[in-house]
Amino acid sequence: MLKKLYLAVALVLVMGSSPVRAEETVPDKFAQQQDDNSMLESYNRAMFSFNNHFNHYVLMPVSRAYREITTPFVRKRVRGLLSNLREPLYAGNYVLQGNLKQTGISLSRFVINSTLGLFGMFDVAEAWGLKKDTTGFDDTFAEWCIPDGPYIVLPFLGSSTPRAAVGTSLGFIFDPVFWTTYHDANVNSKISYSYAALQAITLMEENMDLLNDFERNSVDFYETVKSAYLQNRKNKGCFGKDMSSSVESYDFDFDIDEEYE
Amino acid sequence: MRKYFFAVAAVLAVVFNITSARAEVNAQAARKFVEDVTKDGIENIIDANVSQQEKDARFAKLFNDALDMKFIGQFVLGRYWRTATPAQREAFINAYRELNVKTWSKRFDEFKGRNFVFGGTTPSSSANQIFVNSTVPMEQGEPAKVVWRVKQNGDSFKIVDIIIENVSLAITARNEYTAYIKNNAGGVEALIKDLQKKTTDAPKKKA
Repeated sequence: MLKKLYLAVALVLVMGSSPVRAEETVPDKFAQQQDDNSMLESYNRAMFSFNNHFNHYVLMPVSRAYREITTPFVRKRVRGLLSNLREPLYAGNYVLQGNLKQTGISLSRFVINSTLGLFGMFDVAEAWGLKKDTTGFDDTFAEWCIPDGPYIVLPFLGSSTPRAAVGTSLGFIFDPVFWTTYHDANVNSKISYSYAALQAITLMEENMDLLNDFERNSVDFYETVKSAYLQNRKNKGCFGKDMSSSVESYDFDFDIDEEYE
Repeated sequence: MRKYFFAVAAVLAVVFNITSARAEVNAQAARKFVEDVTKDGIENIIDANVSQQEKDARFAKLFNDALDMKFIGQFVLGRYWRTATPAQREAFINAYRELNVKTWSKRFDEFKGRNFVFGGTTPSSSANQIFVNSTVPMEQGEPAKVVWRVKQNGDSFKIVDIIIENVSLAITARNEYTAYIKNNAGGVEALIKDLQKKTTDAPKKKA
């Protein structure tokens, strides 16, 4: 599965790197990358549409069913359980980012919540002032000033960039659930797939209302998602320290047409 | 000596009312303006014990008073603003405003019980503008970061952008709409029709 994913990403990057003339002659500083690369965009739009159909016909109905059969209390426990399993991954990434304070917090949270918090179902550590903060390989790469690259839509996983895609893949591999079951291929694949499915369902359950709302109000949903995704990532890690790259620094001081003022 | 020079320059500036392109924005007043807008929204709309219809009407008024829709509309339409006719510009701004009012007023319930915590301000490189920083505490995890781009015009202020978790609503709309116009033979005219359709098709909120 992962190998295929890499292949697809590599293929897209290679295809995408062929120079395509941008048809616009007037540069728009706010325009997104689609002007540079129409091949990548047509692939992205096709994959986006596939994912969107998958979400509407498979993932959302399942997530709605999950919502039907559970109470908010139960869903909160499930969320806690899943996120507690990833706490060692956060700790490891905080080490790589040189953030020892957060490493300590994540490790303490894991120990406290795994025991007193009944495998993470209850966030006891938060009540003790150890607030949850998540991170991942993508944040680590951003901290190391590794550039992000163009927007890519991955099959099933959705919005991504080359840096995010590598981060996500490493996140799968270093997920405690994956490597603790690695010795037994049979158990490993069964557990990994159900774990991934559960993660996808809980995530969709939390976000589908907002997502549907966005889609309903958008005249070009792909463009909206792409724009929001890229803006949100722009200030990560070492890129946020430089104010000039910040989204807030864009010039909002364009020429006002006098006739309209 | 230098002290005197600055004093004289300051006096001259006041006397001749020199307004440079980078005129100082009153940070304190800008912050208070945004605080008042959010307070009004929460107390008199979201938490108010009135009908949904009344809430929608109040929100539409607040939205129009607090936001500079002409400025935002022009930004959002990007390069297509120049080629649009005055009638199209007017129609676009109205359609965009109405869709936004509709979209946001549906989300009031989600905001119940939440509040804005205001921080400081950040200067902007654009003339007469400033950022007012705030956060919204969430049920779990980190609070959400909300930054308000405010434009000063004389003594009055208007919001020209809201940036939620680094995502600017104006830039997102601009990317969406310019892409739509570029990919659509109908151009601005089609966009306006589509926005109007989205507004009328929006599902009615249960009272």
